[in-house]
Amino acid sequence: MTRMPPSVGTVVDWAAGVMFRILFAASVLFLVIPIVVSVVLSFDDRQFLGPFPPTQFSLRWYRSFLDNPAYLEGLIVSLKLAVLSTLISTAAGASAAYVLSAGRWPGRDVVEMLFLSPKFVPTVVIGFSILGFASAIQVFDPFTRLIMGHVVITIPFTVRATLASLIGIKRSLMEAAISLGAPPWRAFLDVTLPLARTGIVAGGLMAFVLSFDEVAVSLFLSDPFTQTLPIVLVAEMRANLNLTVAAVSTVFAAVTVLIVFFLDRVVGLDRVIGQGLYRG
Amino acid sequence: MIVSGLEATVQQPRLSAFQWALLAPGAVLLVVLLVAPIALMAVVSFRPFIAGRVGSGAGWTVRNYTELIEPAYAFYFYDTLRIGFIVSAIALLLATPLAWQAARTKRRAMRVSILGLLIGLLFMSLVARLYAIQMTWGSNGPLAFFGTLIGIPARSAGYAAIQVAIGLLHFVVPMAAIILIGTFQNINPKLEEAAASLGAPRWRVALTITLPLAVPGLLSAFMISFAMCISNFVVPLILGRGIVLFTTNLMYVRFSDVANFPSGAAIGIIMFALAGFVVYALAGFVRWLAPAEARP
Amino acid sequence: MNGLSRRDLLKISAATGLGSMGLPGVDPALAQQGEQLLVVMWGAAWIEVSRKIVDAYVAKTGDKVAWELHAGGAMAIVAKVKPAWPRVNYNLISGWDPVFRAMIKEDWIEPVTLDEMPALKDIPPVFFQKNDKGQLMSVPLSTAGAFWGYRTDLVDKPIESIEQLLEPRFKGKLCVPFPVNLTGLLMLTLAMQRGGNERNIEPGWQFLKELAERGQIGRVINNNSEFINAMSSGETSVAFFNIGAWTQVRKQFPVKIMSKIKDNKGFLFNEGFAVIKQSDPKKVAAAKRLANHFATPEINEQYNWPLGEGPTNPKSKANPDIADVFYKPDELAQYAYIADFEFMASQVDSWAKRWEQEIAPLIRRS
Repeated sequence: MTRMPPSVGTVVDWAAGVMFRILFAASVLFLVIPIVVSVVLSFDDRQFLGPFPPTQFSLRWYRSFLDNPAYLEGLIVSLKLAVLSTLISTAAGASAAYVLSAGRWPGRDVVEMLFLSPKFVPTVVIGFSILGFASAIQVFDPFTRLIMGHVVITIPFTVRATLASLIGIKRSLMEAAISLGAPPWRAFLDVTLPLARTGIVAGGLMAFVLSFDEVAVSLFLSDPFTQTLPIVLVAEMRANLNLTVAAVSTVFAAVTVLIVFFLDRVVGLDRVIGQGLYRG
Repeated sequence: MIVSGLEATVQQPRLSAFQWALLAPGAVLLVVLLVAPIALMAVVSFRPFIAGRVGSGAGWTVRNYTELIEPAYAFYFYDTLRIGFIVSAIALLLATPLAWQAARTKRRAMRVSILGLLIGLLFMSLVARLYAIQMTWGSNGPLAFFGTLIGIPARSAGYAAIQVAIGLLHFVVPMAAIILIGTFQNINPKLEEAAASLGAPRWRVALTITLPLAVPGLLSAFMISFAMCISNFVVPLILGRGIVLFTTNLMYVRFSDVANFPSGAAIGIIMFALAGFVVYALAGFVRWLAPAEARP
Repeated sequence: MNGLSRRDLLKISAATGLGSMGLPGVDPALAQQGEQLLVVMWGAAWIEVSRKIVDAYVAKTGDKVAWELHAGGAMAIVAKVKPAWPRVNYNLISGWDPVFRAMIKEDWIEPVTLDEMPALKDIPPVFFQKNDKGQLMSVPLSTAGAFWGYRTDLVDKPIESIEQLLEPRFKGKLCVPFPVNLTGLLMLTLAMQRGGNERNIEPGWQFLKELAERGQIGRVINNNSEFINAMSSGETSVAFFNIGAWTQVRKQFPVKIMSKIKDNKGFLFNEGFAVIKQSDPKKVAAAKRLANHFATPEINEQYNWPLGEGPTNPKSKANPDIADVFYKPDELAQYAYIADFEFMASQVDSWAKRWEQEIAPLIRRS
């Protein structure tokens, strides 16, 4: 399907190939164009969101981005929050996944459902309910509240990723270690943990990205002195919509390109996604 | 989505103390941070609201629920589900060629570029992307003519739904594509080669060999897209022009604009129940269609 | 007229400073302090001018100011404060009459006195919100209004009455606030068009339904910046909103504000600060100093000029551009209206629900 030697194939084949290429191009363009447009608009000199393309260019929106300390403060809060909640949810999620993978035991399904359920509870519901709960138990510190919310939404991802990687680990390895006289916790530390590492790291990465980009939960749980970057963005833009947002998008895009580049160099994108059974 | 990742290999009657110790922290966290707050929210949803004041009053009432029986609210649920359904279907259409190309191309540069694009989009803030979409597809954007092409001019109210759909698509296409890459990579290309070498045209191979093998992956990509669309909040908030409201937005209005916490809680409980129902029904449906591969 | 007499209206008009010359203000002696204050302000022009004023103030006094922006209508802040009270660190919250009423009810506001805040002596008493004991509970900074208006470059012939908005040429061209915004003034203006009032709002709903059914409503906005963008992009051409936001659109595009139409009225109200109760008396004192600074003649003028709102301090001059919008004393009875915001605030919850049930689906389907 990817390559279509003209000699082969019926008209249908040819049409399907063309369709495929068109769809492929359409989806790449669909994903990329908005980012290109916002890069261009970030250099627009006009005061308001005028028609495209801009006629005069300036760096004013980058200046306004840099002049506003809220973005940098938001970035710091977001990083701290993402790191802490990722650590907590990875520790709690990975160890729970290990127990969940240890065969059948009474109540296992209920516990598994408990661990995976935050994934399908709408995030607004989680944010709203934790806000009420936190004030009922007298927790008013916004950062604590944010951690509470972010741990909940990230746990299912760490559990699931770890579970997936544990499938590949033979129970017999673990049992062998135990039968050789290792206590269960040693077998866990020395055998299971290293083997499950890929899954744990993948889960942690997911958790980090999810926490860093989260809006709904943070909208309920933050306060003016402790706002995450996405909340700062939404708040600034709702109160003050102008092309600073284009500058912000451009900066985000640039940082993303760097991250992806290093991810490819250091880990290899293939390993992030996985090669599958029949590649390579 | 809910189905376990593991088949039971060993029947184990009870957990050891060590296993309990591993399970406990996460379980306690979730009971305290998920179950208890939602239980409290359920309680609040039966409290009366006193107009002109903030928060909830004393006493008990079912009014917060009876108000929501109004047919108009069914419309919001319907609208949310409908847009979610359409977007998930288009997302599959757009994600499939990306995923197929990434999974099957022989050129490393092509594969790495697609993977880089998809992973990059996951990393790039959704809020920043949504504003980029507003600038691109909004009424002054360079792609606004698209609306006129399909008979819904960008300046008309109906275009708000289109914009929301575009925002949701940008959100779910990369996720769906990543899921599908896994699916396509695990379909043995030899099968197709064999069929092709027997003289079958490629379209027939695609329909009779590849597609059936890909169905479980396509279904789970659809399911995940759908679940992510209907519980989304930011996309309609930023792109809906105040005209397209998802149930999540209704709930936020209760909280932020009119400070009617009991009513917000009631909507929350209904959404909680609905989301649970939708996810279980879909998971059951996938299991029924493709019993062997129900696990996304 | 809801407890406000014609004399009150006259006072308001006098105090907007329109037509009066005004005297340059003098800064009060500012003590060297160094308190950290958190002030809630609106975005766009409001925060711009406030930042300018406060930067100079900070340099002089050593007090520090952090800003938070209203994300929706000012009423949203009330919802945000509620679950956290009394652990909130806001010192000043900018708001307007109905927001102040709600906060007085919750007992969050620190009363202000003329002794502590000498600049308030100039401001006419009718502008203040008071509690049951008659204490002053708000620091009025601007006289503002909410009016219908349109972009004259996008509307082919002038609009005489808002009944005309039902005409086919306005399909999808109307921009209206969500009824919670402006505490439901949209509902009131529509009701008054059809002979209703605050307590007889039904005619307003009928009018709104007609507009929604015909697909006239192209955009529902929640705050100033959404309004400014909707009207600047030309997405919509006719709207009902507050004068401050209109002024921002007028800076770029020709706009006619219909504050004087025969069969309807414009709404007047006051914006300003509420001093929020805090346990630390030094912070409260610093907040009052800052609020007082905004009320001094010179600063009050500087603040209101770019907003296109009327200064509350009679010694301040008003921006001449808004002279055609606001009223001369003899026009007040005919064109201006002061709504019973306390009553309206008790209704917005049910209005918001009715909007969700009856209006929003019509707009979506039209």
